[in-house]
Amino acid sequence: MTALLEVDNVSKRFGGFVALDGINLSVKAGERLGLIGPNGSGKSTLVNCICGTLSNETGTVCFDGATMNGLTAHERTRRGLARSFQLPRPFASLSVAENLRVPLLYTVNARSGPHLSAAEIDARTAELLSLVGLANRGSQQPRDLTQVDMRKLELARALAAEPKLLIADESMAGLSNNEVADIVALLIRLNERGITIIMIEHIMRAVMSFSQRLVVLVSGKKIADGAPDTVIRDPEVERAYLGQ
Amino acid sequence: MYVSADLLINALAAGLLLGGFYAAVTVGVSISFGILDIVNIAHPGFIILGSYIAYIVNTRLGIDPIIAAVVLAPAFYALGALVYQVYYASFERYGQESLRGLAFFFGLLFVTEVTLILVFGVDYRYVDAPYIGPSIQIGLIDLPLRMLVPCLVALALIGALQLFLSRSFLGRAIMAVAQDQLALQLMAASPTRIKRIAFALSIATTAIAGALLIVIQPVEPSIGREYIGRVFAICVLGGLGSLPGTLIGAFLLGIVESVTSTFYGPSWAPAVAFGFLLITLAVRPAGLFGR
Amino acid sequence: MRTFTFALICVAVAAATFVAARLVGNDYVFFAGYVVLQYIVLATAWNILGGYTGYVNFGSAAFFALGAYATVFLHKAFPVVTTYFVDEPYALPIPVLIVIGAVISGIVGLGMGYLTLRLRGAFFAIATLALAVVLQTFITNWSYVGGSRGAYVIRPNDIEPIGPYIQYLFLLMLALAVLALVVARSIERSRLGLGFAAIRDDELAAEASGVPTLKLKLIATTISGALMGMAGAPFPYYIGYLQPTSAFALDYAVNSIAMPMIGGTTSWIGPLIGAILLGSLQQVATVTISSSVNLLIVGLLIVDCVIIAPTGILGLLQGRRTARDVVADPAVFSLLFAVNVIPIYFLHQEAFAARPLEIIFWAVLIFLAFARGRLIGLRWLVGLPIAGAALSMVPDPPRLIMALVLAICLVAGLVRRPRDPVARSTP
Repeated sequence: MTALLEVDNVSKRFGGFVALDGINLSVKAGERLGLIGPNGSGKSTLVNCICGTLSNETGTVCFDGATMNGLTAHERTRRGLARSFQLPRPFASLSVAENLRVPLLYTVNARSGPHLSAAEIDARTAELLSLVGLANRGSQQPRDLTQVDMRKLELARALAAEPKLLIADESMAGLSNNEVADIVALLIRLNERGITIIMIEHIMRAVMSFSQRLVVLVSGKKIADGAPDTVIRDPEVERAYLGQ
Repeated sequence: MYVSADLLINALAAGLLLGGFYAAVTVGVSISFGILDIVNIAHPGFIILGSYIAYIVNTRLGIDPIIAAVVLAPAFYALGALVYQVYYASFERYGQESLRGLAFFFGLLFVTEVTLILVFGVDYRYVDAPYIGPSIQIGLIDLPLRMLVPCLVALALIGALQLFLSRSFLGRAIMAVAQDQLALQLMAASPTRIKRIAFALSIATTAIAGALLIVIQPVEPSIGREYIGRVFAICVLGGLGSLPGTLIGAFLLGIVESVTSTFYGPSWAPAVAFGFLLITLAVRPAGLFGR
Repeated sequence: MRTFTFALICVAVAAATFVAARLVGNDYVFFAGYVVLQYIVLATAWNILGGYTGYVNFGSAAFFALGAYATVFLHKAFPVVTTYFVDEPYALPIPVLIVIGAVISGIVGLGMGYLTLRLRGAFFAIATLALAVVLQTFITNWSYVGGSRGAYVIRPNDIEPIGPYIQYLFLLMLALAVLALVVARSIERSRLGLGFAAIRDDELAAEASGVPTLKLKLIATTISGALMGMAGAPFPYYIGYLQPTSAFALDYAVNSIAMPMIGGTTSWIGPLIGAILLGSLQQVATVTISSSVNLLIVGLLIVDCVIIAPTGILGLLQGRRTARDVVADPAVFSLLFAVNVIPIYFLHQEAFAARPLEIIFWAVLIFLAFARGRLIGLRWLVGLPIAGAALSMVPDPPRLIMALVLAICLVAGLVRRPRDPVARSTP
């Protein structure tokens, strides 16, 4: 079957620095993909190129059978591509609940098909907050949240867009073991409901228990792509993480 | 319209000299906006302040304005450090620099300009120096010394700054802080301190640019506003953060302005710079040499 | 409250204002009131792009002047149109001019936005400055509308059934003010307003959440520009003789930024408060102080407000504290202190009737000394500017002593560091 996301020879430079060098990646619908790599390897840049926040210089990104080149980030989000940011970027002057209303109003309601009513939006907001463990915090302000809670809000906001493909960029940094397990379970539940998920994480336990397939990025190049157990034992991967 | 070669060549030469001066005016913004990403629209206000101080020193003490400016530059440096500290403590620290930081500098621009009006009035002020008046002739070209000397000083200033930024440790730290603050912190250099030094440096250049301005033309407080557009037009045209780019952009603008002025009249001059800016922003925002 | 109800209330308040103004019996109320109303429109319009969406416009004068000069152009191009309101033939009725002014300024706003809004906010701000200068240069060189010499717009003396013409203009501006406020408030409560706020808070995250940021920014620029153009359209009739320097006056740029910032940028109430307060203050002061000192005061209020009370009067009323801790930084304390002494010095040289304006800046100095004194443990510091203020109220104030008192305050405020480390969290 054709892939849901097809990244074909994508490159990105910043001045003289090559952040991504000919990345090829294929994600099937319903898959759980883990994306790992040392800091600075280009993971977030890849996400930015896929989602349209940055534009890649070469190559194409195809999502759901359509090429994404030239589409703005919001158009891609409306097509079903959602992401959370590695460093949380909440809407600081809006309440936690209002943060979720933005994607509900601008992505879900912007698509063709039945629009959510005001009551449905409120219900959906409450539901999403419970899902990530922020139940009843809707009226709080983002500045009153801990870093960990802000990451949960990031995840909730990405989920609010009802994506077909969700890219969770380090959503679990700083969480306790139980919280990590909760989020992993949540993501697996969402995956069972049909959402394809790419998880970018440094917490190996979470990545290993979640991923059906593992991709490793080092210095802008993909050096491994396959079953998690195999990839982990790959000598090149070991070298990248542990050094010579 | 009859375009005489004589007129054209002189317009070009005047444009080059003017461009050199414009580069001196702009180099401070190349640092504060191009490298530090601070939109200091009060920059022209500091330049006019520099002009007036040069004027006072020249009329009261008889000292050459440019020399006076070089001597006074450290005072402007201190002022720049003070202003940056306020900017940082009030806005940058909280991420509010877009709206409030801009408004802050806007307010400062007004306060400076109007205070000068209240102290000095709106009459034009000018300085007296031995090179204001005579010109040298090279063939068809007439080079007034009051334009040539500032141009040369400007080139020296920019050359010195470029050397500083590319060769010295502090200079390279300044370039680095624009690109990666975290790495800088890991090298045990405080980004805030580096930025403060850079901003203070940019204000120090206004002391010199102000003296050059009052050598070239008589000055009154509201002149600063004409320069806002020129300064940012050159900065954007040359590519943010590139000093050589600033120089090229300045020469370009100077030439176009001079030619327009000669053949269409001086009242169109302000529109030239701003028109340049709008076109550059629309067509190639990274500028000619931009990162 | 529903928008319709709000609009009705506004109309009722406006009608009451008009009736009250007529009862005063002096046409001056209408002349002064017109300017305040004009600023309500300008401040509200600015705030839609600035406060709601986060994009600063330095060129309010450009959009205002476009509306004004569109009127002048049409007045010259179509001088004779008879309506049954007035005996003498005169140009198109002003409401029509207002609509035309709105359309022209809106289109220019759209065009300029399209050129520059794909770049960062800083570029947009600079471009607005550029636009104002370019436009002013063009119009100064365009002799059909009078160029630098100016253009006369003859207005009738009376208009039935209202009476003096100025009252008609006042009424029109009241209507525009109501319109601006209704538009601002309904945007605030709508999906559009949420989108604006998301753009203001974090444009990248807004895009990722599905907000079409470019489209919304263009909408904001167009609405803002159109409202400003509407405010400008009747201006030639108000002023009678229009020169580029008055249409493009600095006052418009400075005030349309100062009023929302002082009033509070997050809601439609802020620009209203700011415009009424600052506008009335300037109308009163305009008799006693020069226009330069006026601009100095407004510019300084911007600097003070933005550092000390970033959320404006609205924020103070809502219980958000001022950024008191910001005076913990000695640079902030010294710059603000020094800079607030300037207007006191100059106001002293103006007519005695201008003195009350000093109170504003004495209040700022007292606040600074109070906050700083508390932080460094010198609680008596606040006594110094209070003494200075008291001294300045006497008919022949001892300038030297006042200067000394202030100098001591500044130095004393700087010698010690704050006792407790300032909390690093956002205010």
